[in-house]
Amino acid sequence: MNTSALYRALALTAWIAGAFSLLVGGILVYEHVEAATRDPWKSPQMLALMEKLAAEPKNEALQNEIRQLDLKVRRDFRRRLALDKSGGWLLLGGALVLALAAGNAAALSKAPPLPQPKSDAAGQSLRLASHARWSLAGVGLVVAGSLLIARLGNPSLLPASEAGWQKLAVQPDATPAPAEDVPVRSEFETNWPRFRGWDGSGAVAWDLKGTPGVLWQCAVPAPGHSSPVVWGDRVFISGGKADRREVFCYNAASGGLLWRRAIENVPGSPSKAGDIPEDTGYAAPTMATDGQRVYAMFGNGDLGALNLDGTVAWTKYLGPFKNSYGYAASLAVWGNNLVAQMDSGDTRAEGSKLISLQGASGRVMWERSRPVPASWATPIVVEAAGRRQVITLANPWIIAYALEGGQELWRAQLLENEVVPSPVFAGGLIFALSPGSKLMALRPDGAGDVSKSHMAWASEENVPDIASPVANGEFVFTVTSGGEATCFEARGGKKDWETNLDMEVQSSPALMGGRLLILGGKGALVTLEAGRECRELGRIQLPDKFTASPAFANGRIYLRGATNLYCLGPAEAQTAKPR
Amino acid sequence: MPRRLKLTGALGMLLLAALMICAEQRFPPPDFESGYHLPAPSTPAPRQEWLQYADTGVLLAGLGAAAWLIYAKRSRRGLFWLSVFSLAYFGFYRKGCICPIGAPQNIAYALFNPGYAVPVTTLVFCFAPIVAALLAGRAFCGGVCPHGALQDLVLIKPVTVPLWLEEALGTIPWLFLGAGLICAGTGAGFLICRYDPLVPIFRLSGGTFILTAGAVFLLAGMFVGRPYCRFLCPYGGLLRLASLASKWRVRVTPDTCTQCRLCEQSCPFGAMREPAPPAAQAKWLGTQRRRLGWLLALLPVLMAVGAWSGSKLSPAAAQLDPAVALAERYTLQQSHPVQYGVMTPESLSLQRAAMDAKAVLTAAADARHRFELACWLFGGWAGLVIGLKLIAVSVRPARSDYEPDRGACMACGRCFMACPNERVRLGLMPAAEDPAPS
Repeated sequence: MNTSALYRALALTAWIAGAFSLLVGGILVYEHVEAATRDPWKSPQMLALMEKLAAEPKNEALQNEIRQLDLKVRRDFRRRLALDKSGGWLLLGGALVLALAAGNAAALSKAPPLPQPKSDAAGQSLRLASHARWSLAGVGLVVAGSLLIARLGNPSLLPASEAGWQKLAVQPDATPAPAEDVPVRSEFETNWPRFRGWDGSGAVAWDLKGTPGVLWQCAVPAPGHSSPVVWGDRVFISGGKADRREVFCYNAASGGLLWRRAIENVPGSPSKAGDIPEDTGYAAPTMATDGQRVYAMFGNGDLGALNLDGTVAWTKYLGPFKNSYGYAASLAVWGNNLVAQMDSGDTRAEGSKLISLQGASGRVMWERSRPVPASWATPIVVEAAGRRQVITLANPWIIAYALEGGQELWRAQLLENEVVPSPVFAGGLIFALSPGSKLMALRPDGAGDVSKSHMAWASEENVPDIASPVANGEFVFTVTSGGEATCFEARGGKKDWETNLDMEVQSSPALMGGRLLILGGKGALVTLEAGRECRELGRIQLPDKFTASPAFANGRIYLRGATNLYCLGPAEAQTAKPR
Repeated sequence: MPRRLKLTGALGMLLLAALMICAEQRFPPPDFESGYHLPAPSTPAPRQEWLQYADTGVLLAGLGAAAWLIYAKRSRRGLFWLSVFSLAYFGFYRKGCICPIGAPQNIAYALFNPGYAVPVTTLVFCFAPIVAALLAGRAFCGGVCPHGALQDLVLIKPVTVPLWLEEALGTIPWLFLGAGLICAGTGAGFLICRYDPLVPIFRLSGGTFILTAGAVFLLAGMFVGRPYCRFLCPYGGLLRLASLASKWRVRVTPDTCTQCRLCEQSCPFGAMREPAPPAAQAKWLGTQRRRLGWLLALLPVLMAVGAWSGSKLSPAAAQLDPAVALAERYTLQQSHPVQYGVMTPESLSLQRAAMDAKAVLTAAADARHRFELACWLFGGWAGLVIGLKLIAVSVRPARSDYEPDRGACMACGRCFMACPNERVRLGLMPAAEDPAPS
């Protein structure tokens, strides 16, 4: 093909590609203009229904009508998006052929270079440099002018001074939270408001005289692994199955059931929950209470807040959780803050997050994404290094967040495997378990990544995989699933003793005064001296199976078994005998 | 020709309109909670780890192939097909992400946010093209960058941008780089990615503004060679700097330069430089030296003025941070309450954010403090860039042959065939026809 023929072919191709692109582009522009009248959000029909719904928020029929219309406009929208996408590809292809053909045609018609002699090269070079300097000055001015326009065009309403910020921060919120009197801290300390007590340590300072005995026992109406929580004269447990999830309130003095309430019709909760493993069930997370309400989280993601008289304050759906063993992390409570650790995913983070809710309203105060897969540990709130910290564990990170605001404070990459045991805080140190691998003590006063800088000590001896440790500032105690109890010095990590209790243990151990209580899976409650030497002080046998951890309040111990709830007290006050 | 220009213009406008149509349109989430979890809006979708390493492998192989094609084969055709492959793979298949252009922001973000760990693949994408540039010039730009490849494909009839204008506009990538790194360091977001005008074309979707910008760059790219690479790409600035110290450099001639000047117009990117003219008269030399002295003295002044001016920008610049933007809206709502009837997607999103006002304000105050320092730094950086550029254009180059500017050369190989010696080497022309030196 000679040059002229090739040029003509390229020109013809460019024309055809141009016409094709023109046609496709025209159709797309027409579609775009048409689509403006079909914007789903501006649909007059939808707006009218929404107005109507604002007046009748409970109208189910209206909600269904809106759902149907919503679905229809979404389908139309998706169809149009697909059309736009195909059209976009066609147009891009046409434009590319046009550019290639026109470019090659232009290259063919280009005259070969014919350099002419240059005179005054030095002068030209100087003039070029001079022009470049002026143009640089021009660019500098244009940039400065643009930034000035950006500054003037975006005035800030936020204060310029520190005092202004403080003044703004104390202004009332447009949607103020309901005011209420949150119980004082000493009330939290005397009660048992969450998993392993007010601070999650599993320890109380008081002790019972002698070996505890059963004061009362009553049947547990629904299955669950959650532990009891106690406020004043009331004991709360949760239980449930696929068809019904409930909260039970008992009289702490007599064991009588005061009320039971189902958490149902939770907005957003699917009628059929996903796969919840039978072993873990729906009621593994322990409830929490702030003395105003009790909060119950279930394995399907339902969260309910009940007033102390059993009426529903609010409910919220936080699921679903992708968790191979089922969701089991318990709620943490501090004042009016409710904290839920919602880790999800098999091998990597899949929507894992930590969330703080306002107890009174259920409003989300803050939410933080977490770079971790599913975990089963419960967060604790500690006051350390002059700040309130939420300590969370999950493979591979120990992460501390600010209770107020949720900002990440520090993190340490120290954990392995499936993290079940919860952390505890005593004597200024955080004690955390990497299941089956390591017991660690960390200083909680760091910032950023403290993996290498803040570990006080670590031990690889007799590391549990389920039960959390317990500590009193002087000693740290651990119990493995096989019943191997070990005592470490809290400062330095030296092992003082170990003993095999010859029983299966899933409950976390507890400290009551100077005694270490270990509850076996088959009902043996063993009491050891919490000291430098191992000494068994007593052992009683309860006729039940236990996975939940004990609760302590007002001089009594509450144990949740598979079939019964038990209240233990001083032996002299004992009225009922275990069967 | 005028008819062709008109046709091109009309099609360009249509392309712009069509891309706007394909923009991701705001669409509200469902109004009723159904338990359905909205997937995280991420384009492209997260990728399996081995595929990320595969991307890294493709990048490294591409860089190696580009260097081989430039220096061993001197093949423009090979580079063209390599760039077409890169456009298809890194552009339309990987949708412009992962990409070295935005990677320096990850580094900046990691430097100031200890909780963020830079993925290995991002590190490789950030540094491999720079290491390649230290060895072999801008091999990445010539054969591997999808942005460059797309602009190359639409280049129809390049016009020459005057060198003085080229020098002035060449400061913009440095300013953009400074702004991008500062935004990333403060945690306000990845500005370079957000305002990348060509990525929306790879994805056939994007906001109206950025799609318009993309279409404008492509339209300009029909007549101005690689306008994005030359006048906006911040990563190009880094590669330009690295190329100045490169071990090997692209040469027009495979042999000795005969100074025939046939290559003078061969570079559509304005990178070809002619030999430096003979020394000017003595009186001019004195003037030039005094000017250089003044400019050197001016440099710290420009930096100081820039830093001070930059500090005045911080209240507006901080609004790039989402927390500050939210706090601004909150403050506006406090001072001028708006009662929403049927909620718009924006008001619905704001309500669903459900953040505590105090937390928002605290976060905004923190962000504002970070931006105060950042804007000082940015202003100082802008002064430094302009000052150094003024000095650079005032220094007389030492060059004896026609050759591409080390920093500006995109290593595309277009100039090879303009050299008669290259044609002789390839056997396309007998040695006798090689023009004699002028």
